[in-house]
Amino acid sequence: MALIEVIDFKKSFSHKTVHDGVTFYVKKGECVGLVGGSGAGKSVILRSLIGLEKPDSGSILIDGIDITNFTEQELVSIRKKVAYVFQGGALFDSMTVFENLAYPLKAHFNMTESDILIKIKNQLEEFGLIDSINLYPSELSGGMQKRIGLARAMMMNPDIILYDEPTAGLDPYNTNKIQELILRLKTKGVTSILVTHDMPTAMNVCDKFAFLKNKIISEQGTIEQLKNNKNSLIHQFIEGHIL
Amino acid sequence: MIHFTIGQKFKDQLEFIGGSSILFKQTLSELRTKPFYTQLLVEQIYQIGVKSLPLVLLTALSTGMVMSLQYGLGLEKFGGKPYVPRLVASTILREMGPVFTSLMLAARVGAGMASEIGSMVVTQQIDAIRALGTSPIKRIVIPRILACLIVLPLLVAIANMVGNFGGLVVGSTELNLDAQFYFRRVLETSNIKDYIAGFGKTFFFALFIAVPSCYYGLNVKNGTKEVGIATTKAVVTSSLLILVGDFFLAKFFWIIEKWL
Repeated sequence: MALIEVIDFKKSFSHKTVHDGVTFYVKKGECVGLVGGSGAGKSVILRSLIGLEKPDSGSILIDGIDITNFTEQELVSIRKKVAYVFQGGALFDSMTVFENLAYPLKAHFNMTESDILIKIKNQLEEFGLIDSINLYPSELSGGMQKRIGLARAMMMNPDIILYDEPTAGLDPYNTNKIQELILRLKTKGVTSILVTHDMPTAMNVCDKFAFLKNKIISEQGTIEQLKNNKNSLIHQFIEGHIL
Repeated sequence: MIHFTIGQKFKDQLEFIGGSSILFKQTLSELRTKPFYTQLLVEQIYQIGVKSLPLVLLTALSTGMVMSLQYGLGLEKFGGKPYVPRLVASTILREMGPVFTSLMLAARVGAGMASEIGSMVVTQQIDAIRALGTSPIKRIVIPRILACLIVLPLLVAIANMVGNFGGLVVGSTELNLDAQFYFRRVLETSNIKDYIAGFGKTFFFALFIAVPSCYYGLNVKNGTKEVGIATTKAVVTSSLLILVGDFFLAKFFWIIEKWL
């Protein structure tokens, strides 16, 4: 059964149509790579899945629930299940790493300070970032900020994670670290969508690809299907023959 | 081209009126629901109130001193120097205290709010607040508006005292008025209506500062360049609302005073 369904999604900004009937779905436990040229509107779809953008028409279903017309209040329950990893980490710069990670726990769970501390320490140890617990985001490297952003997104044990360019601008070491984390979460059964231009990472972690071109999903398929078809759009995109 | 610019400006103004009204309505409706972030309110009271105090004190002191000097020199020819304490006190309590303090706060705090919130929008921190299932209105807007509403009347009260003290200093040193006489005249001639007219305005001025600043900050769209534009718009709009609104509020409080 599909955990995420996007049906006939249409979206325009100031008379410019970005999406004109995007339809795709993601099954439980799957990792789907949403790829396409710059400005194709990949992030817009990702943002819409968590209610940060509203579609002009069409439907978005999360676990069978149509969230298209949900209010901010109604979206809270969805946002507890669906985590969003922002491109730059989007850490709160007035808070330490500990406070950033404690933020969702304090907002949604009735946990004691000591329980919060234990959970955060465990999370940071798993992410190899325990030494940065008392640092501010400005004291962290770009790669560390992204990993902390991922750690924060994981604090509520979400069923779905949406990655917005998680490896953009990172060195190979940090790219590998992020890749490992995504794979580790995948083995835990987390469903995810990965928006990226980093095709080697996408090839390593994704089960399926959806290629966004001409305002719709022009092509979808598994890695094997695409590898075997040299004429596929995604294959040409990877080779740099089309935008 | 000119038509386009005028049309665009008019559209911008309508957007501001509509947008800030919606923001204020959302603020009122979210104020009634849990959670309430007391710690964030205290932080904002410190940022807006305590940190603005030196600026407000200096402005109030110099305003009181200048007014006392100008009134004194102007009235000297007519033998009206004994009226200086009354005139200075009344002007400060009714107009200069609330208006100058609010303008200073609009410049310092309004700019700070718009740029801070705008930067949070650009770095996706506002999106992160929403994505984590919390409300930017509750965490960002409500503490700032409430802090302004709490802090501005207090700052104005302090400014009124310091302004009158400045008037007394100049009255006794430059105008040769007896300090005790000056002090007594201020107490005798100032009445509750002066306080009501002055303090009543501060609650409106607090909203004129906080709401546009939050609105422009939250509506930054196209990167860091627009943060600067939003900051300028916030300060200009707040200042204009204070100055233009002051006339209508003065009229309004005159009507109220007639009833009292």
